[in-house]
Amino acid sequence: MAMGSPRYFEDCEIGAALPLLEKGPLTTTHLMRWSAAMENWHKIHYDKPFAIEHDKLPGLLVNGSLKQQFILQLLKDWVGPAGWVWKVSFQFRAMNLVGETLSIWGKVADKRAGPGYGLVEIDLGITNGEGKESTPGKATLALPHRGGTPVPYPFVPPQA
Amino acid sequence: MALLTEALKKYIGMQSETEIACDPVERGAVRRYAQAIMDEDPLFAEDCPNNARFGGPVAPPLFPTHMFRRAFGAPDPIQLRARDAEFDGLGATSAQGLPELVPIKHLALLNGGSEIEFFRYARHGETVRLRSRYADIVEKETSKGPMLFVTIETEYRNGADELLMKVRRTLIRR
Repeated sequence: MAMGSPRYFEDCEIGAALPLLEKGPLTTTHLMRWSAAMENWHKIHYDKPFAIEHDKLPGLLVNGSLKQQFILQLLKDWVGPAGWVWKVSFQFRAMNLVGETLSIWGKVADKRAGPGYGLVEIDLGITNGEGKESTPGKATLALPHRGGTPVPYPFVPPQA
Repeated sequence: MALLTEALKKYIGMQSETEIACDPVERGAVRRYAQAIMDEDPLFAEDCPNNARFGGPVAPPLFPTHMFRRAFGAPDPIQLRARDAEFDGLGATSAQGLPELVPIKHLALLNGGSEIEFFRYARHGETVRLRSRYADIVEKETSKGPMLFVTIETEYRNGADELLMKVRRTLIRR
């Protein structure tokens, strides 16, 4: 993603889709690399007999902790260098298994202007190759006004 | 048989001490992390125009949540439980500074989701500390049987006690 140009609040249209972010196909090697990077050795991500026989899972699971990184990447890249990802929430509703390719999506659900910056509400999720949703969520992003200053850093939430 | 016993209810509201991550934000650790999440953004690598307002290179947004690792000299659960067929590989490392939920330590653990608020990035070289509490534990009947939903709230701060992020996690135990 080119991070050069800021995105402005005024340019966001309700209903518009964020560019889809695709990750995968996710192999056991991807999952092992992620487990090593965060030093988390939960066996359900690399020990297939343990996952199936002990935890009664259908196979090796893509880490929820990895899927949430993809959501943050989608949002961070979309708000650009002058904006800020303020709030994100998501639920791990369904499992994603090794071998799947994930599509991380977002859509502008609402927006409201404020003094200094505007807030954009996003609906988001992660679908696999069969279109099954696994990780529905929402986010609140802060974007600068056109002709205004960057969103304050550190981020200062709007006064209630 | 209720999973949410009186012994388990005693954990609700329990707060951790402040825990300091064993290492500061290291460039090599950030590189491996960014490569593993497949987001090699220049923000994370070195000084660049887009991280000037953050004070230089930063770690990926969720990096502070993964900095609480086994310190030099701390007991090694992988070796200690090498002959334990029940060991899931995690031990108590998923509890964000909180004590393990002993009454349900035999139950499998799944990540249910999170609500996160971001205020600052962690910069290269910064230390990170956390404080957590068991905000709630509830039992729900699901199509797969009874499950426990454990909610943990955690605040992450840097060495100057500046708030980086707040996380509210739901862990599913079944």
